[in-house]
Amino acid sequence: MTDALVIATQTLLLIVIAPAVVGYVRLTKARLQGRRGATVIQPYRELRKTFRKGMVIAESASWIFHVAPFAVVGATAAAASLAPVVSTAQPADLVGDLFVLAALLMLGTFFLALGGLDPGTAFGGMGSSREMTVAALTEPTIAIAVLTLALTTGSTSLGAITGTVLKTPAYAIGPGHALAFAAFLIALIAETGRLPVDNPSTHLELTMIHEAMILEYSGPYLALIEWAAAVRLTLLLTLAANLFLPWGMATSLAPAALAAGLPAIVVKLAILGLLLALLETRVAKLRLFRVPELLALSFTLALLAAASSFFTK
Amino acid sequence: MDATFSRITMTAASAMLLLSLVVLWRRHAGAYITAFRTQSIALAVTGAIVASYGAAPELFFVSVMILVVKGWIVPSVLSAMDAKRQGGRELHPILNTETSLLVCGALAVAAYEISRPLAEVMNLPTRGGLPIALALIFVSLFIVVSRREVIAQIVGFLMLENGIALLALLGAYGVPLIVELGVFLDVLLGVLVMQAVVYQIHDTSAD
Amino acid sequence: MDLIVVLALLTPPFAAGVLALVLRRAPARVAWLNVLTMPVSLIAAGAIAARLATGGTPVMVGEVWRIDALSALLAVLIASVATLAVALGPGSGREEHARDAEIRTFRIYVNLFAFTMLVAVSTVNLGLMWVAIEATTVTSALLIPLHRTKASVDASWKYLLIGSVGIALAFTGTVLAYVDVAATGVDINVALHWTALREAGTALHPQVARLAFVFLLVGFGTKAGLAPTHTWLPDAHSEAPSPLSAMMSGVLLAVALYAILRWKVIVDVAVGSVFTDSLLIVVGLATLAVGSLSLLSQTHFKRLLAFSSIEHMGLACFGLALGPLGTFAALLHLTGHALAKSATFLLSGRVLERFGSGTIATTRGLLATAPHTAVLFAAGVFALGGLPPFGLFLSEILIVKAGWAAGHPLLTTAVLILLLIAFGSLLAQLHRMLFGQPPPGIAQGERTSGAVLLLSVPVVLLAWLGVSIPAPLQMLLSNAVMVIRP
Repeated sequence: MTDALVIATQTLLLIVIAPAVVGYVRLTKARLQGRRGATVIQPYRELRKTFRKGMVIAESASWIFHVAPFAVVGATAAAASLAPVVSTAQPADLVGDLFVLAALLMLGTFFLALGGLDPGTAFGGMGSSREMTVAALTEPTIAIAVLTLALTTGSTSLGAITGTVLKTPAYAIGPGHALAFAAFLIALIAETGRLPVDNPSTHLELTMIHEAMILEYSGPYLALIEWAAAVRLTLLLTLAANLFLPWGMATSLAPAALAAGLPAIVVKLAILGLLLALLETRVAKLRLFRVPELLALSFTLALLAAASSFFTK
Repeated sequence: MDATFSRITMTAASAMLLLSLVVLWRRHAGAYITAFRTQSIALAVTGAIVASYGAAPELFFVSVMILVVKGWIVPSVLSAMDAKRQGGRELHPILNTETSLLVCGALAVAAYEISRPLAEVMNLPTRGGLPIALALIFVSLFIVVSRREVIAQIVGFLMLENGIALLALLGAYGVPLIVELGVFLDVLLGVLVMQAVVYQIHDTSAD
Repeated sequence: MDLIVVLALLTPPFAAGVLALVLRRAPARVAWLNVLTMPVSLIAAGAIAARLATGGTPVMVGEVWRIDALSALLAVLIASVATLAVALGPGSGREEHARDAEIRTFRIYVNLFAFTMLVAVSTVNLGLMWVAIEATTVTSALLIPLHRTKASVDASWKYLLIGSVGIALAFTGTVLAYVDVAATGVDINVALHWTALREAGTALHPQVARLAFVFLLVGFGTKAGLAPTHTWLPDAHSEAPSPLSAMMSGVLLAVALYAILRWKVIVDVAVGSVFTDSLLIVVGLATLAVGSLSLLSQTHFKRLLAFSSIEHMGLACFGLALGPLGTFAALLHLTGHALAKSATFLLSGRVLERFGSGTIATTRGLLATAPHTAVLFAAGVFALGGLPPFGLFLSEILIVKAGWAAGHPLLTTAVLILLLIAFGSLLAQLHRMLFGQPPPGIAQGERTSGAVLLLSVPVVLLAWLGVSIPAPLQMLLSNAVMVIRP
């Protein structure tokens, strides 16, 4: 019983704070650029506004168009339930491991791409094809990067990985770990559609990847998809923080420990968000044909990380 | 203590390998030179770490030499060479970036496999970095072979030298001093001679 | 006494090079002085060789220099070819129209080149040997574009880059071997000494020794023109000025093979000789094939000679893998090749000068135009083709015999066929050059000159070698074989 409660709480935590994370990144970016920026809770307001709006649906849209937002939200929430947020004693380890997580993320991307293709608009198709190109290269990278950790720790369950790395910090100093972290970060940027792969606040359709897929969506559907995107960002940031730098996490499910582990994840998310904002301010968007090069680089890094972990046990 | 030493040197060695991968990704000659300079600094740092943990004080001298020769003099010569280069800013390698990166990933895995028996017979704590050094050698070889422009080939060759120096460093805490000095002299002379020949290439192509 | 002899060997070229560097204003005078300094090295090398041929102990000075029979053989070859090259280079009367800057550059680098080669074969420290061989690349690369043509500059770059990469790979092999030896606890200061490595050979781990030898073979093989890293050779040797081509083809390739041999001895102690022999057979055969088959389609006579070098190096490499008889034959082959190739290249320089072009099609009627040069050139090419009565015929027969004796009948037949193809191609091209109508506008006739007389010496020596190997040389060669295959 408590297991289900813990899982539900962690998932809800991620889902609830996701828009705040997005708002925090936006605010930091604005401050770095010398603007005042909106407050951290602005995305909540936007979501509330979007939920209330009416929907205009294209005539050529089929049932896929209607199902896609829910599929995306469902897949992302399910993936969020597998991530260790506060504690390394993750009950969800019995339900799924890193491969299930990667598959769920891919499922969400898949349905989003279908939803972009469905109305038959040019920009939607273009966005979908670009998204699938990027996803085809990032999913293996994420899988191999986390597999590197699995090789050193001997288990593919996420909670077990974080627990083992926490217990033996010597695992964390090493080329395999650092390379996998770098590869994971690059894949994160690509998966969540941040600069330099994709500009989340662009309005130029020809440069869009993620935004082009959701151009036809409006009203509650749009709100659901935006929320799912925010959850995906938060989920991946949490994974980056907890899988590679698990210090501060609780090691049991005792309420006191859980409460002590909460500030750790908040701090780590804040730091990662700051780094993300710094990166976005610093680099320009890559030309589209350079994106596969960047992703090939991250895949090679992940491959190197796995090789070094495999060969030097 | 030994384990930490081993892992730190392995991390520094991996940084060097990563910098040679960066060369595959960037297309600007200046980026090549910066990558080489940073890699040489990483090599000097690795040398200093090995010198302090491994109680080999002459390596401090070697690290300083690396810093001066490969971290300062050679990149300056390369930048001067690049400034005189005609032709566009972008470099055009023979293989495209994605394929190059994947080939180098495969080369790195091959290097790990080849050096597995090697690392087993060594007994120094730094032996874990031997595969990385061998991978760096293979990747640098690939860089030399797959570049069209002369400046890129030279940077690839210099990275090959860095890889071999790393191999010597991690495998046996460096080679005897006289050989080390000879190698430095050769690298310096080699680069100067390369510069002279490259200038001649420019002169004769301009006609 | 040893010190004096080693100094007499090494100082003349070094001093001559430095002198040429320092004395800017009288390059012609420096050139004539140079002609006198190189024979000093030759005499010193001859003295050392004589001592070692009669069973003397290796010449040793300090911890650095050790000249045994193998080193002495190569030192004599290097010094002889260098003497020829400096006597017939720019500034010593032959090319009167050479510019002062060219004369000076030539004299500086050709002497330093000879010095580095002599150091490479005289030192016992394999790390220092490596440094010297790297230095040979550096000093010769600057000389190839002496006449500043685009082709020669491109050839020089190719040589420099491929040679440097190859040398770097050889260094990888050296480092791998050093890493292994250092782990056995031997004194670090002598860890790279050939004698110490040979002694510690049984303590080397087999896998490391094998991996190191592969790197060393590929690396030094690049400098020796072995396939598949031979691609720089035709361009570099054909575009270089003839004295430099003579030195590079005649002895530099042999020095690279010498380096491989030194390491072969060590690796053979560690893993037995089957491994290195098999590798050498494969590489030698491939190189021989590339050289022979390429000879069929050559249109420039200097490129023809360059591919002939590749062919001969392949054959020598093959011979080195065939036990003591094969090694003896290969060393004899290297001796004959040094003489033949250097003479032929220097003569081709005279042909080039007379005809103004390097293509075979436009150098017809050589016999009528310059009879002395033609006869000597023909003799050189005959020798390179393996025709009796020249020395190379003898060494080729011995290698074939060793191949049969070592139990490789099929491979040896292939070698024989390839040698016949090379023989045919060389003779066909020579025929085209010697006979026919000379092109208009070429000066006819030739007076006897010092150069021709000098170049007839190696040809006569080759003929002598083919009739019967002089006893001192035979003893030197036998002692050298004892070094390699004890």
